[in-house]
Amino acid sequence: MSEIAVEGGTVLAPEEMRESSSVWRRLRANRAAMVAAVVLILILAATIFASLLAPYSPDKQQLLNSLASPSKAHWLGTDDKGRDTYSRLLFAGRVAFEVSFLSVGIAVLVGVPIGLFVGLRGGWWDRIVMRVVDAIMTIPPLVSILALVGVLGVGIRNTAIALGVVFSTGFLRLTRGEVLAVREEAFVDAARVTGLSNRRIMWRHILPVAAPPLIVQATLMLGAAMLAEAGLSFLGVGVQVPDASWGSMLASAQAVATINTFVAIPPGLAILVSVLCLNLVGDGIRDAMARDAPAGLFSRRRRLRVAGLLSAIPANQPLVRVGDQVASPPALLEVSGLSIGFVVNSRMLPAVSDISFAVAAGETVALVGESGCGKTITALTIPGLLPPPGTITSGTITFGGNDLLDLDATEMSKVRGRDIGMVFQEPGACLNPAFTVGDQIAAPLRTHLGLSKRAARARAIELMERVGIPNPERRIGQFPHEFSGGMAQRVMIAIALACEPKLLIADEPTTALDVTVQNQVLDLIASLRDELGMGVVFVTHDLAVVADLADRAVVLYAGQVVESGPVAAIFSDPKHPYTRALMRSVPRNEPRSTDLVGIAGSVPQLGAWPVGCRFAPRCELATDECRALPIQMDRDGDHEFRCIHVRDRLPEAVGSQA
Amino acid sequence: MGKLLATRLISLLPLLFLVSLLTFSLTALLPQEPAALKVGDNATPEALHEARKELGTDRPWVVQYGDWAGNAVTGDLGHSYFSSVPVTRQIGDRIGITLSLTAVALLISIIVGVGAGILAAVYRGSPIDRVATVGASIGTATPAFWLAMFLASQFAVRWHIFDATGYVRPSESISGWLKSLVMPATALGLAGAATLARQTRSAMIGVLGREYVRTALASGLPRRKVITRYALKNALGPVLTVLGFQVTFLIGSSFVVEKVFGIEGLGSLAVNAVLRHDAPVIQGLVIVIAIVVVVVNLLLDMLYGWVNPKVRAS
Repeated sequence: MSEIAVEGGTVLAPEEMRESSSVWRRLRANRAAMVAAVVLILILAATIFASLLAPYSPDKQQLLNSLASPSKAHWLGTDDKGRDTYSRLLFAGRVAFEVSFLSVGIAVLVGVPIGLFVGLRGGWWDRIVMRVVDAIMTIPPLVSILALVGVLGVGIRNTAIALGVVFSTGFLRLTRGEVLAVREEAFVDAARVTGLSNRRIMWRHILPVAAPPLIVQATLMLGAAMLAEAGLSFLGVGVQVPDASWGSMLASAQAVATINTFVAIPPGLAILVSVLCLNLVGDGIRDAMARDAPAGLFSRRRRLRVAGLLSAIPANQPLVRVGDQVASPPALLEVSGLSIGFVVNSRMLPAVSDISFAVAAGETVALVGESGCGKTITALTIPGLLPPPGTITSGTITFGGNDLLDLDATEMSKVRGRDIGMVFQEPGACLNPAFTVGDQIAAPLRTHLGLSKRAARARAIELMERVGIPNPERRIGQFPHEFSGGMAQRVMIAIALACEPKLLIADEPTTALDVTVQNQVLDLIASLRDELGMGVVFVTHDLAVVADLADRAVVLYAGQVVESGPVAAIFSDPKHPYTRALMRSVPRNEPRSTDLVGIAGSVPQLGAWPVGCRFAPRCELATDECRALPIQMDRDGDHEFRCIHVRDRLPEAVGSQA
Repeated sequence: MGKLLATRLISLLPLLFLVSLLTFSLTALLPQEPAALKVGDNATPEALHEARKELGTDRPWVVQYGDWAGNAVTGDLGHSYFSSVPVTRQIGDRIGITLSLTAVALLISIIVGVGAGILAAVYRGSPIDRVATVGASIGTATPAFWLAMFLASQFAVRWHIFDATGYVRPSESISGWLKSLVMPATALGLAGAATLARQTRSAMIGVLGREYVRTALASGLPRRKVITRYALKNALGPVLTVLGFQVTFLIGSSFVVEKVFGIEGLGSLAVNAVLRHDAPVIQGLVIVIAIVVVVVNLLLDMLYGWVNPKVRAS
């Protein structure tokens, strides 16, 4: 999966995203947050200038005109004492905002300094204060606020104090957390070594880091404070007559609820809109400062049917077809002219173009190339696991006589796991941490073969034994975190082979494992292949593995097949300069190395492929002819290659590395 | 399991001790000494002295705390300043109302919130997602008691489907009990559902992008089963954490919502006590609710161990 993440990353997430200027830019691009900010400012301004905007005094009673409907004279009608609802709304809003700002101000002034102190000081101070915070947070906020108001006395000032004290715990925890996180980082240690005092460190290093999350928290707490104040005033312990807040307006509306339902609507809406806007602004600030979430893998495969997107594909895609060749054994899997693109900002970026290869039963075909060449995407697409925004733009994938691309989701899920098994890299991440390995091996057995719980368990034990997991009766009830990487990969192989599939797709299954374990896993795959007569598609960047395991190799570069053929032919007579470069750089004991020894540069980014030969920028043989037009496939028997310089290659490069 | 439960229970004792200490020290914030509150402003010095003796406030602070906490452990939370009914009885009479209202509301918020969150995550970017996300934003900004007033005005006053006020005890009639809870619990539950929906959505989106979900799909399990049987269990961890906060939120909000329906739960007891500085009742309420919250969180912890076996092991 790393391959896709890298490709998606280079397109979607430029490095500078966290810089403050781009935070502001992203915040401005967030329409909901900007609209909310404008509405909030308007409401605030209206309450501040209430005395100018209100047509009546908020307390002027007209008992003969009580509970009037909205009219020209009273825009929002009147309440039970005949007071103008619109005017009262403006003045009550002032109280609501005052309490919110006051209480959050108190919370910040109490919480932040204590959080800084215990975070920097640590030790007993930290332990005791945090236990007290835990104790306060055990009690529902509204109950603690009621309790504090109960002893301090009712009224709007005490309500604000109580709110502030209770909410300060949130700021305290947040500040302390930020301090601890910053303390972990090296530059604070460096600052301490150079003799800066705690206070200097605090001002220079910690506050700039802690400020953004505190701003978000403060914005969100303003909303929470407003809701709490409304509830308390509704209960009659917050604002006291003759003052009013939106909450106490609702309390008087409640008293006449059976006669008139309209009076409850304006104050309630005022609270809703104000809190909603505060939350949207807070969320907007947070989102603008956060990194992009990774794209999900959960997709339904679909062929691209949108004409507009198809037309966005650059016209320089090569259209060579090699499908007219008659494969000697009947192919189990035949991938033909497969092209895949990623839709980014409604533009189609080609990721894989016109890939064709075939796998016979019992045969192993290796897809070889560096990261970003498209081999993992190709492998995932075969069983229908291409992640969004990936889309298949053309081609067929014939398996057992059917084009897999024609199957719907239900039909496809019947092929996956039963006829096609998959093994991925990073077995630790590929097993579900919440279920026992036994459950996970049994799942395909029960789904596809309809085995009973007991029969599936017995079969799972057999499978675990077969893949070389010692003591399977005991280990079947264990969870993935109790397995080493090598053992976890054996579990993955047991899952993939549970239903004895005809085809196994292995995506760098040994990359994340220790070198000694790598060979064991490769041997296991080879012996199971021979035993079950499976075809195998093996994705790797390691030519040593290809030589050990594969019958045929398909070398990919920048989404294109550059060379393919029997492993013996490719190793004895590599035609393409890229293949030869790969051979020179066999990265034996460095599983994650992707640098090619001897050739500068790296695989071009998605959507930045050259018009001509895609390897030309890194190739020592490249000429103007290479760069002018797409290079067609050439062929020597069943050995194919995409290079025009094969006949006149440099003498010292000839076969010397084979 | 039993051993784990026992160690957890023991580890809660320091927390409850701190809560009791904080609660007890609330009296220090009273504007007048308790005895003065009890006898009123016009009492003679002798009466005041007598009241101090009766309340025990003439003794050292530590002795008072020990006395109060010791009695609390045996279930005696003392007496109100203004009533002869023991605090324990006052709370005992009403706690069932608050707990049943909160429990039904919690159930509603789980069903609505987790359901909407899953749908929004699975159909991310679709109209369903947008409706759920916007709905959740509005829901978190809506005062639960205002929603309650709206429900009452529509379903009770206008259409007469439910009674606008009152609570029926389950001992009187189970169906009547449920019927009396539908509106208040819905108002409370919908407000809680909003937060749960947001949390479920983001947890589920995270899980659906994980490699093990791809493994489950690769072994041919149908989409629906991958979501409901596998991914959901992984996503429940963060949801359970929020659920802990939900319980405290719902108990607190129920104090306000019950007023709309004229239900006499802990909320009305609390408001009466607050208006009169009735410290023993306030203290009793805080302690009892803290115990309820702690017990609920203990149960959630156990559930958390089920969804996250790694935690169970350590």
